[in-house]
Amino acid sequence: MSNYIPTIGIEVHCELKTKTKIFSDSINGYGQMANSLTNVIDLGYPGTLPTLNKEVINLAIKAALILNCKIRPVMHFDRKNYFYPDNPKNYQITQAETPIGYDGYVEIEVDGKTKKIGIEEIHIEEDTCKSTHRGTKTLLDFNRAGVPLIEIVTKPCMESGEEAKLYLEKLKELLFYSDVSDCKMEEGSMRADANVSIRKQKSEPFRTKAEIKNIGSISNVKLSIEKEIKRQEEIYDKGESFPPQTRRFDDKLNDTVLMRVKETGNDYRYFPEPDIPYVHITQEQIEQVRKTISMLPDERRKTYQKLGISEVNAKKLVQNRALSDYLNELLEEKIDFKTAANLLLGDISAYLNKMETEITKTSLTKEKFIELTNDISNETLTSKNLKEILTTIMESEKSISEIIKEAGIQNITDNTAITEMIQKILKENQDSVVDYKNGKDRAIKYLMGQVMKESKGSLNPKMAMAILKEELNK
Amino acid sequence: MKDKLTKEEVLHVAHLARIKVDEEEIEKYQVELKQLLNDVDKIKEVEGYDEERMIAPWQKDTILREDEPGEMLNPKEVLKNAPKHSGNYIEVPIVISESEGA
Repeated sequence: MSNYIPTIGIEVHCELKTKTKIFSDSINGYGQMANSLTNVIDLGYPGTLPTLNKEVINLAIKAALILNCKIRPVMHFDRKNYFYPDNPKNYQITQAETPIGYDGYVEIEVDGKTKKIGIEEIHIEEDTCKSTHRGTKTLLDFNRAGVPLIEIVTKPCMESGEEAKLYLEKLKELLFYSDVSDCKMEEGSMRADANVSIRKQKSEPFRTKAEIKNIGSISNVKLSIEKEIKRQEEIYDKGESFPPQTRRFDDKLNDTVLMRVKETGNDYRYFPEPDIPYVHITQEQIEQVRKTISMLPDERRKTYQKLGISEVNAKKLVQNRALSDYLNELLEEKIDFKTAANLLLGDISAYLNKMETEITKTSLTKEKFIELTNDISNETLTSKNLKEILTTIMESEKSISEIIKEAGIQNITDNTAITEMIQKILKENQDSVVDYKNGKDRAIKYLMGQVMKESKGSLNPKMAMAILKEELNK
Repeated sequence: MKDKLTKEEVLHVAHLARIKVDEEEIEKYQVELKQLLNDVDKIKEVEGYDEERMIAPWQKDTILREDEPGEMLNPKEVLKNAPKHSGNYIEVPIVISESEGA
């Protein structure tokens, strides 16, 4: 088989995290009873007029900022005309001519190198109603009609399914961390289409492209692109060609299937939406929005590593926004962050998963967490003891020191007390002491066992072993 | 400048509007639609037409709405105007995806 260079562009539709819809004040919600979140505007009744939601503009500005886009100071909306039951007013309000953001980029890491994925544009539009096909009928739910969307279009600049996957992962993380969208692909709040074509050389013009629509997960985007590249290669290798087409990814076949052949291109007859006059965006507004952007994932990972957290744990923390946000409030504290990360990702995560709860809903206040981290890092609390009292820590209002005291597992950190206890044990186990002095290694393990048993595990083992050796060698 | 549209152009427009036209009507629209287009072209001759196009009859900014929920319709009301429904869903005959939104 000959080698081809694939060219891939990705379009992402992303639902904005607003309280209400883009042009009406009905609720923007998911998973509610069908047709319960609508009003006459969403249903496209004659005579109704749209009013633009301020928050939609703010969130779109935010998306443009985090994707390094230029922002258009004056924009308007356009009507895209078509007949389809998902949109009874027979046009979708979108931005064909003046997308709010343009000419941006997202950085991804490909084989250790940074690659910029160019963003062609970001435009705002309304979502259509959700149609479900059942046999000979189609069922319509208008809860989704009028939900605000942004469409993010990349330049045709990716060359593999893997790059597309990395781009989508990065995009999802950015939009999620900036609260632009909840980015739940499984609920359709983030949907991806991929445009794929291949050619022999970069000097050659682009060949025919296929568009793969509405792919439901990032891993399927990668897979469907790889399958599509292979399909096109096989066609060209046979000396054949194919018409421009729209395909979809079939979960069951694990492959792309043809949807419809694009003949003449659709005739949407776009024209400026007369019901929504111009929107001006001021520099002041942009700066206001910029202030609301919380620390983004790349910066979080960098900050965590600077504080001594391992690369693996830094990545894991960013994968869990609630934990990352929790830790971010402690960044100014003087604590051992390595221990803090281990606690959050270890015992605390295990507790949260088991109880199916979130860290902010537990009694683990910031003060308590700092106390706990310090106790663990200076070894006054062993991890074994922590396991015993963890539930109490997470569920009671008491301080860590109170909980430790009440549980009767006050760690013995007083050297004299430990020494006395060890001396007592040595006296009771003279045989083992003799064995040790005769070079039997097992004897010290036995003695150490006795020490831990006597202290009921409340000793810091390292410290106990040091004193034990000291006493034996006297 | 031709003085009428082609038959195909009229049929294309009729299809976009989902209306049926007979032979006689096609001939009529070939002339009438062309006349409309000519009239629009005349407006375009106005100086500065393309530079400062108006998209609305006034130049003011659109009025933005605060993101606060308002009243919604009861699903029963919504279904009243639908010829058919299935549960709370509006039911329509299946349409082969000729064009899709979003």
